[in-house]
Amino acid sequence: MTAPSDPSELLPLTPVAFEILLSLTEENRHGYAIMRAVEERAAGRGRLHAGSLYRALARLLDSGLIEERDPPLEETDERRRYYRLTRLGRRVAVAEARRLESQVGAARDLGLLGET
Amino acid sequence: MARPGGGFSTWVYALLLRCYPKPFRERHGEEMTHVFAEGAAAARESGPIRWLWYLSGALWDPVRNGLAERIEDAKKDRSAGDAIMRSVRGPNERRGGRMESWIGDAKYALRTLLRNPGFTVVAVVTIGLGIGANTAIFSVVKTVLLDPLPYDDPDELVMLWGEMRNRGVTHFPSSPPDLRDYREQADLLQDLEGVFSFQIALTGDGDPVQVNAGSVTPGFLAMLGVEPILGRGFVEEDGTPNDPNFLPGQPGALPGMVLLSHALWQQRYGSDPSVVGRTVELGGGPGEILGVMPRGFELLLPAAAALHDPIDLWIAARIDFDNSPRNNVFLRPVGRLRDGATSGQLQAQVDRISTDLAALDQVKSTAGYAMRVEELKSDLTSDVRAVLVALFGAVVFVLLIACANVSNLLLVRASGRDRELAVRAAMGGSRGRLIRQMLIESGVLALAGAVLGVLLAAGGIRVLLALQPGDLPRIEGVGIDLPVLAFTLLAAAVAALVFGTIPALQASSFELADALKERGQARGGRGSKLLRNGVIIGEVALSLVLLIGAGLMVRSFVELNRVEPGYEPAGLLTFNAAPPFAAYPTAQDRVNFKIGLAQRLETLPGVERAGAGFPLPLAGDLFNGRYGPEEALTNPEAFGQAAYRFIMPGYFEAMGTRVLAGRTFTLADVADSAAVVVVDELVAESLWPGESAIGNRFLVRVVSPEPEWVEVIGVVEHQRAETLASDGMEAVYFHDVYTGGFGGSWAVRTGVDPLSLVPQIRAELAALDANVPLADVRLMESYVDQSMGPTRFALTLIGAFGLLALTLASIGLYGVLSYVVRQRTSEIGVRMAFGAARSGILKLIVGHGLLLSGAGIALGLLIALPLTSVMDTLLVGVQPTDSLTFLGISVIFVLVAALACYVPARRATLVDPVAALREE
Repeated sequence: MTAPSDPSELLPLTPVAFEILLSLTEENRHGYAIMRAVEERAAGRGRLHAGSLYRALARLLDSGLIEERDPPLEETDERRRYYRLTRLGRRVAVAEARRLESQVGAARDLGLLGET
Repeated sequence: MARPGGGFSTWVYALLLRCYPKPFRERHGEEMTHVFAEGAAAARESGPIRWLWYLSGALWDPVRNGLAERIEDAKKDRSAGDAIMRSVRGPNERRGGRMESWIGDAKYALRTLLRNPGFTVVAVVTIGLGIGANTAIFSVVKTVLLDPLPYDDPDELVMLWGEMRNRGVTHFPSSPPDLRDYREQADLLQDLEGVFSFQIALTGDGDPVQVNAGSVTPGFLAMLGVEPILGRGFVEEDGTPNDPNFLPGQPGALPGMVLLSHALWQQRYGSDPSVVGRTVELGGGPGEILGVMPRGFELLLPAAAALHDPIDLWIAARIDFDNSPRNNVFLRPVGRLRDGATSGQLQAQVDRISTDLAALDQVKSTAGYAMRVEELKSDLTSDVRAVLVALFGAVVFVLLIACANVSNLLLVRASGRDRELAVRAAMGGSRGRLIRQMLIESGVLALAGAVLGVLLAAGGIRVLLALQPGDLPRIEGVGIDLPVLAFTLLAAAVAALVFGTIPALQASSFELADALKERGQARGGRGSKLLRNGVIIGEVALSLVLLIGAGLMVRSFVELNRVEPGYEPAGLLTFNAAPPFAAYPTAQDRVNFKIGLAQRLETLPGVERAGAGFPLPLAGDLFNGRYGPEEALTNPEAFGQAAYRFIMPGYFEAMGTRVLAGRTFTLADVADSAAVVVVDELVAESLWPGESAIGNRFLVRVVSPEPEWVEVIGVVEHQRAETLASDGMEAVYFHDVYTGGFGGSWAVRTGVDPLSLVPQIRAELAALDANVPLADVRLMESYVDQSMGPTRFALTLIGAFGLLALTLASIGLYGVLSYVVRQRTSEIGVRMAFGAARSGILKLIVGHGLLLSGAGIALGLLIALPLTSVMDTLLVGVQPTDSLTFLGISVIFVLVAALACYVPARRATLVDPVAALREE
């Protein structure tokens, strides 16, 4: 599938997809590590099961936002596959963050979040 | 179906992944399974609640997301497909076809079933239980009875068993010269090889251990088609003979050529490939490691071959075939038929050779010598075929009963669906179409039942393995694989036809106008009533048969627990500590070792008595020889066959075997190697019926080739040694010096927890001789328990299936009577209006139910009488037609049936006559 060059075409992202991009911004990870990272950020407010994770991963792979890479040398479990953010993926993540930020900003301006 | 690591939940998860479309599954499935397993492992560490919480979410996840993914795929497909269709047919053409209408029917069936969840759940669970039981038992039957043995052309392999028909001996080993003669003269055999086993100490490279050695003629493993994974297999030279008077365990001048089992290679040598070529010490003599056998290789021979299990290493037997005596029998001959030859043809050929051999030998000619040919596979499974056939019969019954229940449910439900069906018919649905619709509903139910059944079976197989049916060969390999799944589908299809056909025909054969006119009042036509009653009678009959089977097993188990084995298993510890021949060359040396160890053990606090004896009862070793009165010198047909046991003073006291007359051995007997023996009550009774045996002499053959005289000093009670379930062979007890002091099994009677003594026993043994391994430490109770295993296994399963059948039949009875009550409400109302007492109504309904169950019980008894004979070999101390069981189970059944009838009957008595009549 050819990737569009303009990141805004892919917005908005689903929350799970955005979380995956965030977790891969930190470092390259395998599926279970992504799941752990997302769950840690959610701090017990929700659980991400493999099904939701991999459906989102499949979409992200198809649209070229992430790609598979070789596992690091210290990885001993050969069943693990590692993913990393592509340049496009990084641009889309930034665009999505900006979009959310502007929405949150608007909410704050309207006093939805109380006085800050 | 490969089973990813991580246990049952992972297996279920992998199964549930099938909800996803195939391409998605292929792309991510393996990884997802892995992620699931990692998550499960982490959740498990944080406690059971967390784990269950995780499982409930994670197992639902693939269903939800998988279906969502499919729907998304379908949307994509449809938009693509629609475009293609439009281009071909034009926009207005209606799609449709045979396939589509089937799918439509299935969808309709699914909707109908989901609208009625109570009915659907009951039906699916009922069918699921039946199919689950069938799947589990079939997986066992397939692995144990149907799968080919893991050797080259396994159907060509045969066993040759010696028989001594005049002495009731059916599984006699062969001597080397006999084996050679059969090998040379039976040209229908490509190969004929021999095997025997013994226990021997492996020393010289680490802690001394006792290993089970399988000793084979050099061509044996190659005949099976098994090659070592490391090093080389045996060649002819590896069996170059050592010594004409071969005794098991005796070291020779030439090294023993050894192939390690994969397990021993891993455990003792850490999978080190450089062990090949290394020299080790075997029973004090040299052994050279030639190679390593493949993982999982095992020699599957019938239990009657009395081989040790598992075999830790293989040794090429150094046998002098030309000079070994013909009465030194120890080899189990296994052969391979030539292409196209049958075991029947071979039997004829072997018979001719046996006749020639018998003519040469007085013992053979008088004992009724013969050689029996058995196909290896059927021989291997002959002991367990009865239990598997009985179990398979039981689960087929359970499935039929389940089908009967669902069939009745469908019949009842169909009568409530008249209007719907009538409307469909009125709108042009043909009879065939209606039948198809009903059958598809049955199919959907059966399929759902099959899915549930596979899950139940997967769990059931684990329960089954936990029951440790030790005598089922290859039972560890049982699992759910493709052939088992195919069987499940077949069972589901048959079940759907069985429970779906009658209701389908019934539902489609009504009078359209009547149905539309009637106001939802169910039809109570003569035909459908007969059907329902017939189904319930059949159901009661089948479950009665099953329950009688279960009752017979219960009685057997009770009998088995009441058996007095001839020793006191409680508080009895057994182990093996045998003096190696190299370090203890003479019989007196070996006996002194045993006297020394016994004295050391008896000083331990908690030990009451310690005595060596070989072989120990129920431990699997058998050793037998002939015995007879003086008459046998001139008439060898007077010889009988007895188990020979070689014991030290203290053995009977430690075993708790009662002395019935005379005395047992003392150290004085052992010191002068007197020709005195102790016999059991069976020998005494057969040689000197009604007289005292003490001081009498009789003939045995144990140390010399000719019959020898021994004198009886004592009579003890008979020990059950082969199995707990039957008396077994009579026994003669020799003291150890007389017979050469081999073997080294011990019985220790304790006043404390026997296992608590093991460290001290080990220390005492090490203090006496650090090179003698302590092996096979076991409670006598565990041998007894093991011997009860097959009975317990059959009892648990047949009992469980019997109870399941009883439950299903009661539910069926209850359901039908409830329906009858509902149907007869107005009739009951009329009766009550005319003054019938409530007790009369109760009688009416209960009577109806009891009439049905009575007919079912009568039919069941008729079926059970001939059928229980298949269980004959499973039963202990009870006849297959035991009248007490037949009567007792029938009574239980009547009581349960009465209960199942009482509830609906009671409801009938609560009918308000006015309301009932107004409804009319």
